[in-house]
Amino acid sequence: MHILQGIDMVQVSKLEKMLLASPGLASEIFTEKEREYCFAMARPYVHLAGRFAAKEACLKALGLGLSGEGIDSALQDIEVVAGISGKPDLLVKGRVEKAGGRRKVCQYTVSISHSGDFAVASVVLVAGENCE
Amino acid sequence: MKQNLIAEQRVMEEVKKAIAEGIDIDPGRIKPESSLMKDLGAESLDFLDINYRLEQTFGIKMARRTVIDHIEELFGEESAIDSDGKLTGKAVDVLAMRYDGYGDKIHAGMDMDELPVLVTVSSLAEGVESLLDTLPEKCSCGAQEWKLEDETRIVCGACSEPASFTSGDELIEEWLKQVQEDKKIF
Repeated sequence: MHILQGIDMVQVSKLEKMLLASPGLASEIFTEKEREYCFAMARPYVHLAGRFAAKEACLKALGLGLSGEGIDSALQDIEVVAGISGKPDLLVKGRVEKAGGRRKVCQYTVSISHSGDFAVASVVLVAGENCE
Repeated sequence: MKQNLIAEQRVMEEVKKAIAEGIDIDPGRIKPESSLMKDLGAESLDFLDINYRLEQTFGIKMARRTVIDHIEELFGEESAIDSDGKLTGKAVDVLAMRYDGYGDKIHAGMDMDELPVLVTVSSLAEGVESLLDTLPEKCSCGAQEWKLEDETRIVCGACSEPASFTSGDELIEEWLKQVQEDKKIF
């Protein structure tokens, strides 16, 4: 059994400026549930930035990263969901799930934090032949 | 068909503008050969912003999936990425053709997240041009007359409907099929 790790940090004001200038981009990056959750919060862009960081961190942990050409729909394959306690979880599907299966990932964990103008997310994946 | 309403130079100017506004840098720093990530400091968020700006500027739809994803879909699992998640030799052959001149920087065993560094101002502009060059002969209304609006949007000269270009994903798929037919890589 081994772990795969990814980390990412996002400037909240940069994401906010970008999404205010190009509102349609939000639906390319975030799932409907993520947008509903974040835009219901007092500071939506802080939560969106945390979610973007989590998606990027997950792609990094899988060795995928974002494609530089086009608008990579892999971001839509990763959804950050908040449990009752507020602790985030990752749900993966499509190509990301397939990449995880290839690397024998059996557990996805994420931690998100915010301070000032920055949001940071760390993703740890547990992988191996016999892990559950 | 190859469109001749928007000149290559105009495309390059708009690409540079999107990059300058997306990354918030001095346009004078942007050279055709600049790597967005290595030379201009673009981050993943910037790539999304720049590509989205270009879609809005030209009325095109950039790819939502990578060349690697398309290879696996067309030629089967593990044709582009091996069981360890690394690029295969066959994927390297295809990418070397796509990123002309960068062949020596791509090698089997690379991680996919090492690829965005190969995206340059020129490669982005070429991508936009290739999408614009899918301009259909006729509009859906039957007219064969295209005109330019707001300097970057091609619309029908008869009904004023925006031109419908092939999407980035469809174009990659067509290109891969052609490569396979010519080179028999997979």
